Amino acid sequence: MSALIEYLISGVAVGCGYALLASGFVAIFRVTEVINFAQGTLAVLGGFVAYSALISLGLPHGVAEGLGVLAAGAVGLVFGWIAIGRRGTPPLASLVITLGLAVSAYAAEIAIWGDQPVSFSAVPGDFTLAGAHLLRQYLVVIGVALVALLGLGLFFARTYTGKGMSACASNRFAARAVGINVRRMGLYAFALGGLLGGLAGVLLIPIEPLSFNSDIGLAVSGFAAAIFGGLRSFELALVGGLILGVAESLIAGYWQASYQTVVALGLMLLLMIWQARGRMELA
Amino acid sequence: MRPLTGRRELPLRTAAWLGAAVAAVATFLLPLWLSPANMTVYTLGGLYAVAAIGLSLLMGYAGQASLGQAVFFAIGAYTAAVLSLHGVPTSAALLAAPVLAAAVAAAVGVPILRLRGHYLAFATLAFQLIVLSVISNVAFLGAGLGFTAIPALGIGSAQISSPRAFAWLTWVVTAVVMVVSLNLIRSRPGRALRALATSEIAAESAGIAVVRYKLSVFALSAAYAGFAGGIYAFFIGYISPDSFPVDLSIEFVVMVVIFGLGSIWGALLGAAGISILIQVLNQVGTMPGMPEYMPTLLSYAAYGVTLVLVMVFLPGGLLPALKRLWQAMARRRISHLVFSLVPGQGRRAAAQYLRRQ
Repeated sequence: MSALIEYLISGVAVGCGYALLASGFVAIFRVTEVINFAQGTLAVLGGFVAYSALISLGLPHGVAEGLGVLAAGAVGLVFGWIAIGRRGTPPLASLVITLGLAVSAYAAEIAIWGDQPVSFSAVPGDFTLAGAHLLRQYLVVIGVALVALLGLGLFFARTYTGKGMSACASNRFAARAVGINVRRMGLYAFALGGLLGGLAGVLLIPIEPLSFNSDIGLAVSGFAAAIFGGLRSFELALVGGLILGVAESLIAGYWQASYQTVVALGLMLLLMIWQARGRMELA
Repeated sequence: MRPLTGRRELPLRTAAWLGAAVAAVATFLLPLWLSPANMTVYTLGGLYAVAAIGLSLLMGYAGQASLGQAVFFAIGAYTAAVLSLHGVPTSAALLAAPVLAAAVAAAVGVPILRLRGHYLAFATLAFQLIVLSVISNVAFLGAGLGFTAIPALGIGSAQISSPRAFAWLTWVVTAVVMVVSLNLIRSRPGRALRALATSEIAAESAGIAVVRYKLSVFALSAAYAGFAGGIYAFFIGYISPDSFPVDLSIEFVVMVVIFGLGSIWGALLGAAGISILIQVLNQVGTMPGMPEYMPTLLSYAAYGVTLVLVMVFLPGGLLPALKRLWQAMARRRISHLVFSLVPGQGRRAAAQYLRRQ
């Protein structure tokens, strides 16, 4: 029983991280129709910058993590400018560009942080809940992620920029017709995706060390959670992230840790194929 | 711009064929002089070219993105290794490699090829990660450690073990794959593939069996990669799940994209060019005084930056850009272009001439 609680809570925590990554995918895809393959890279960069700020610069917790998130947001903006900056770049070409950016980022990451996994502890210690020993960090991850996602919902519902981005998501041509700068909204979306990715990175790095090539695993997990909502819904992306995180944690706990990626990816494939079947019947 | 008449296109085609013939002869003579290290690059370049040509058919002609092409390279390598380690003649094991890779592709393709665009890209990537994860967990497949001591490749009574023999074998295979692919794209199936890449619905209504063609080209590209993987296993003699990372799939995409999607020659040039570039950077990276991670760093930078620059500034790839340059030169008479490089009188004369055109 205590083991089950342990697996569930740790799964929910990791799932919240996936949900943040997934929200980044969704934010960018809704506005620009581009899949940002470098979403995992942004998380890794966020985590790495926070690590440097903490260890090398000696900044306190909170500030260091904030710096990591902001850095990821800035890099996201630059990536977006490269990927969609030129008019008329087709979405699939933009996907390949973000792929190239992710690989280029490897070089920068190796140069600055080396090729070994990096980690730091943010909120050390553990607590006991119904006999289960849990890391405090889990609670931090869950709390921060939920607040961030709530803020994201408010941003899209209440602010002028958020509404403009939603307008681009529902109809780009109509949005342009009423005077919204679609390209600028796309760049905002990339910056937002960067912030969300960076947040996922700084929250996850204390739980599992990240190395420069952790980005593929993170990107695939985030994408799997995002397609749960058809790449368009933030709420369903959260649900998808939680399901994925808990499923991985249960498989690792009760079966074998090495099978967790197989099962998670298998689920993602089945889900995509099932969704495609629906689309084909519609067409 | 004036329309291009047949006569004006002629110099380009003749030059291209002449260049290709010279390059082919040079390529086959090269192993006589190459150093051992460069011979390895030469052979691997040929193997990557075979896989890249397959991916070019799939991505460039049929318009189906794959970020997991290295999985078929891996399946081919493992088929060859496992069979030959269990006593199957090595030549039969090598021939089984493309067959099994194609069979797996055909089986997986049925559900996966329903997906399009970025969904297909992520699905193929996920498939590769799944296969790698399964391989590292199954003892029969060597688990995480992989296989060492893969027997030497023998064809009939002759053993292929010298690097030079492998180099020639590889490039003979590459040449055969080139000829088959070039003929394929000029034939009815090739036109069908291009049609379905443009619009599946239009192709279907024109009587093209879209699903069957997509599956066939997926299986063919897998067979190419599988064959290359089979040779790789015998050539290197050691394989493990780490030999076939996602990076390799991305490298194939870079090779196919830089000279131009939708060109078989582009894939060949891309594989050769990237292999040479990486080797050069590798030599730079291993120079004394360089940190240990330098070669890795430089190769990532080369792949990433090339991919980004080409996709942003020359989305059609380098080959069409070079072709345009050549045509511009042919149209403006090369002599004037050469003159224009000469400072002073020549440049002014050329500019006047060009303005009159």
